[in-house]
Amino acid sequence: MRYNRRDRGTGLLAALAMLMLACAMLVPTIALALTTNKATARPNENGGSGVIGGLNTRLTWEGTVEEGEEVSSVTLTLPDDGTFDGSSTKITVLEGLSRAAVEGEAVASGSQLNVTFSQPITEGLLLRLEVEGMKFPSEGGDVVVSGTYVNQGGEQQLADSKPITTIANTPLQAMVATLDEAPWVQIWNSNPFLGMFFKPQLLVTAFATLVPGWLLCLLIVVVAYPFAILLGLIFALMKISKNRLLRLIAIVYVNVLRGTPLFLQIYIMFFGLPMMNINIDNNVLGVIVIAINASAYLAEIFRAGIQSIPQGQYEAASSLGMSYFQTMFNLVLPQTIRRVIPTVTSDFITSYKDTSLLSSVGVMELMMFAKNLTSVSGNMTPYVAAAIFYLIVTLPLIKAVGYVEERIAHSERGGGPRPKGKTAKNEAADAEVKLSELAVHAEALDDEHAFVPALTPSFASEV
Amino acid sequence: MSNQITRRSFIGAISASAATIALAACGSGASEGDTAAAADYTLVEEGKLIVASDLDFPPLDSFEGGEAKGFDVDLSKEIGERLGLEVEYLPPTNFDAIIPMIKQGGKADIGNSAFSITEERKAEIDFTDAYLDSNLGIAVKSDSDAKDEEALNDASKKIAVQSGTTGEAYAKENMSTATIVPLTTVTECMAGLSTGHYDAVCADLPVVGNMCTMSFTDCEVSVEVPTGEQYGIVVSKDNPGLTAAINEALADMEADGTMAELKEKWFGTTN
Repeated sequence: MRYNRRDRGTGLLAALAMLMLACAMLVPTIALALTTNKATARPNENGGSGVIGGLNTRLTWEGTVEEGEEVSSVTLTLPDDGTFDGSSTKITVLEGLSRAAVEGEAVASGSQLNVTFSQPITEGLLLRLEVEGMKFPSEGGDVVVSGTYVNQGGEQQLADSKPITTIANTPLQAMVATLDEAPWVQIWNSNPFLGMFFKPQLLVTAFATLVPGWLLCLLIVVVAYPFAILLGLIFALMKISKNRLLRLIAIVYVNVLRGTPLFLQIYIMFFGLPMMNINIDNNVLGVIVIAINASAYLAEIFRAGIQSIPQGQYEAASSLGMSYFQTMFNLVLPQTIRRVIPTVTSDFITSYKDTSLLSSVGVMELMMFAKNLTSVSGNMTPYVAAAIFYLIVTLPLIKAVGYVEERIAHSERGGGPRPKGKTAKNEAADAEVKLSELAVHAEALDDEHAFVPALTPSFASEV
Repeated sequence: MSNQITRRSFIGAISASAATIALAACGSGASEGDTAAAADYTLVEEGKLIVASDLDFPPLDSFEGGEAKGFDVDLSKEIGERLGLEVEYLPPTNFDAIIPMIKQGGKADIGNSAFSITEERKAEIDFTDAYLDSNLGIAVKSDSDAKDEEALNDASKKIAVQSGTTGEAYAKENMSTATIVPLTTVTECMAGLSTGHYDAVCADLPVVGNMCTMSFTDCEVSVEVPTGEQYGIVVSKDNPGLTAAINEALADMEADGTMAELKEKWFGTTN
């Protein structure tokens, strides 16, 4: 009188057929005085969603007592080497959504768990058994929870549960298990601080599971940044333009974005846009927010960089008959780029770290994975692992910025042919030197679209 | 309880009895038992019961006009009154940070933020006796066509949950094919559901129910999941005296009808 598992798909029909069959046979043991609703297992893969056999997890089994029936005891059975030993069972009996006052006692012995109730569970009640600390068969595979129950008519067979998909142990989990047992790990973890922030087992799992989040962080910022640079440059030029309207637009844009928290901007974009029926993929939206936010900071950086070029150079250029755009693109911007590289890199680092804020709106980035792991483990170690992932990128960049800055300082001080020190007085001389340089390269400037990178090195040594 | 009276417990006893006298003078009257239990616990700050909560879980916990409000908040205040302690709420704390905070100690005495009593959490901290029954609920957009667990358990679906909650655990266990998105607060989950970022929210039934009727009227509770979970107050394992004292206060509140009054006030029923 057991369900054939394949019939489960046809749910009601099968149940009906069963019932009719049972009635027709007139057996006293009409099946399903206790209907198996479901059996599920809590994922116990650290940082994953798999149910691993041979490791502690929680089985939740639910059944409903049918009309006119009373159930006084239930026994759940696991196949193979699955075991209930060492488990603790929470028994909940519900009538609709309210708890019914039914107590019970659970006794585990190997692959069987026997639950006896203080008073029989009557019709219509939902029985919920949460078995914490049980183990599924270690080889993995689809596990069916079967069993028996006792009603007025004696012991009956329970319908099999839908299979629970379990997996065999993963190498990562095996490594964690090894660490669990290592004496040094136990000593290490007995220190509350080390155990809370640097638990070796969790460091290992965190490193393995945070990678997708880390890659998404990198992807977002790497895609966003070119757009940010372009936008930033446009707004920088608008801000120093002679047109009042353009200036006003740029000032509002830069000040609003720099003057409000990124967190707020993220909220507005993520919750505001869909309300205007603009639905964009979360990750793309993340890229857009980061790009727009960074562009405001970059606009200021570029503006400062452009304005740091001495006025004399503009005069020199115009005396050569160069137009504004020629001056900008051939003379000013190449020098600006050099000067702003360190600041822009710092801003890149900031943007990269800022992607962490996207976790609050459901972008599956690094912090989201770390938070996930922390909420499961109640331990701060995943955040430390996340910090390491951030540092992997930021430390080399910081180092690179330092190097570039040093080089610039070097060339600004003594690298060039001019005497050390730069006073207001020799600004004029400065311009003259530029002028003579410009004369040399004047022919090269004929094509106004040419970016003339060739110019850059010669200025580089002087500036 | 040790026989030695430490300075701390002495001061605690003094302040507790002073408070009892004060309360008695006001006519609200605390029973003898309270003072006896009061001496046996430690507090972060003398005379104060500091409570951590995420304060974003209406009608149980909310933060309105800079003040903590809700069923849990009234409950904490009532407990404080009965223990002769001044109740102070910390600013809203991330839900998943409360248990580690109580475990580490030094910041708050209790966590009272609609914590369902689970074996997992019990491994970290102590729970007081249960003070309220709860269940889970799944909320969806009213015009959605994927409303039940089966339809939602699909790789294309995103289910928002509050990080560290039983709703999260339920979603992971029962709708494992869908993408489970853990967020900091239920409000974030519901806002995302309402704006179409997620397909469903799985959280405590009283709260999603409240949010669907009060704030996010374009959403509805499509599945009521009977889990029969119960809320308890979180106390550090190093502070069993406080757990005992709160348990006593809870039992008193149940006995003298205060608990029923509170339930009536916040849920409109006494169940």
